[in-house]
Amino acid sequence: MDTDVSQVGWIPVALNNAVQAGSAIRVIAGTDDIALWRGKDGVAHAWENRCPHRGMRLSYGTVCGNRLRCLYHGWIYDGSGTCVAIPAHPDLTPPQTIKVRTYRCVEAGALIWISDEDNSAPAIDGHWTPCRSLHIEVAMPDLPEILKWTKVNSVRPLSTYAADVALPDQGRLILAVHPMGSKGAMLHCALPASARRDSLLSASHWLGELRSRIEQAAVV
Amino acid sequence: MKLYDYVLSGNCYKIRLLLGFLDLDYEKRPVDFFPGREHKSDAFLKINPLGQIPVLEDGEIRIRDAQAILIYLASRYDKSGEWFPGQSHSQIAEVAQWLAFSDMITSTASAARLHDMLGYNLDIDAARAGAHRLLRVLEDHLAHQEFDGHDWLAGRRPTIADISCFPYVALAEDGGIDLFCYPAILRWIRRFTALDGFHSMPGINVSP
Repeated sequence: MDTDVSQVGWIPVALNNAVQAGSAIRVIAGTDDIALWRGKDGVAHAWENRCPHRGMRLSYGTVCGNRLRCLYHGWIYDGSGTCVAIPAHPDLTPPQTIKVRTYRCVEAGALIWISDEDNSAPAIDGHWTPCRSLHIEVAMPDLPEILKWTKVNSVRPLSTYAADVALPDQGRLILAVHPMGSKGAMLHCALPASARRDSLLSASHWLGELRSRIEQAAVV
Repeated sequence: MKLYDYVLSGNCYKIRLLLGFLDLDYEKRPVDFFPGREHKSDAFLKINPLGQIPVLEDGEIRIRDAQAILIYLASRYDKSGEWFPGQSHSQIAEVAQWLAFSDMITSTASAARLHDMLGYNLDIDAARAGAHRLLRVLEDHLAHQEFDGHDWLAGRRPTIADISCFPYVALAEDGGIDLFCYPAILRWIRRFTALDGFHSMPGINVSP
């Protein structure tokens, strides 16, 4: 599925515990390759996964304080994506034009969301805790398609890619999907913050079974 | 102690890791695995008739198989008893189960890496698909361990189970196996590389 991030609004690309303060990970959203990282201050950033210098994936980079340092030649970018230091030219103040392409990035409902658009972020009530993110081999068109594979009592859409759902056995949870082009999709699940071990485990099994049903149907 | 070693071998890396965690002195005897295929030479087959590395020699004792060497080193030299916990029968079995699992990772993820890095002729699609099936099992287990407040494969502390699974999981991308869809595995890799006494090898990207 060729999903252009610029046309689809906010995409949930990870649970909030997928990237810890002071680290960087790689996520795919539609056809975009993205470096998702947190400074020591805990603020999440989503950038094009490509150093403007030589194209190295920035997700291999090192977080230094609240800046990201490219693995390859050590170019350092501040939180806005602007290059602030080039180690091979220590006396040079890098021109402001050396800048990484950035996405808007917010956290809500234990999920990290990214967008290219200037619209308002998803409004999600209450406090939530991350449960599981599962890779699914088939590219899923949308959430309603996925929900056809399970019993639900109620669905309150949060965006194109996420809904607050109530299930007969699991109770209330946030179910999100994010398409990754030729690499399938991720299913993300968050539970109310009061959830303890047994609820998390139960929801994890439910999500795994949901994935199995969808993947097996796609093979047939 | 002498380790028959190859710098790019994940199985040799397992032994270097535990020797590092236990802070033991040893001698490295490099084996020209590629391109020399020294491990298949007549001379080396007298050391290990299976033609595989690593091999460990400790005095009169000679041991082949990475997992067997891990058991030997942990049970003989780890005074804390934590790397191969022997108190509970179920935990011994749990560790053994992951040691066996790590051999399955070797036959899939490591095979894919040998194909991509050294040009081995094998069914690369089958190797990658097999690795992903195993990584799903590992991902589920690690996520469920986290629900119990446990960071490691077999309990609250890292054991030789973690050491035996770590190298070829962390090196999987060398074989074209994406890890970005396994967040619990990525968290476990990050915790592992932050352990006291951890040593890296080429291909392991360590975050400070």
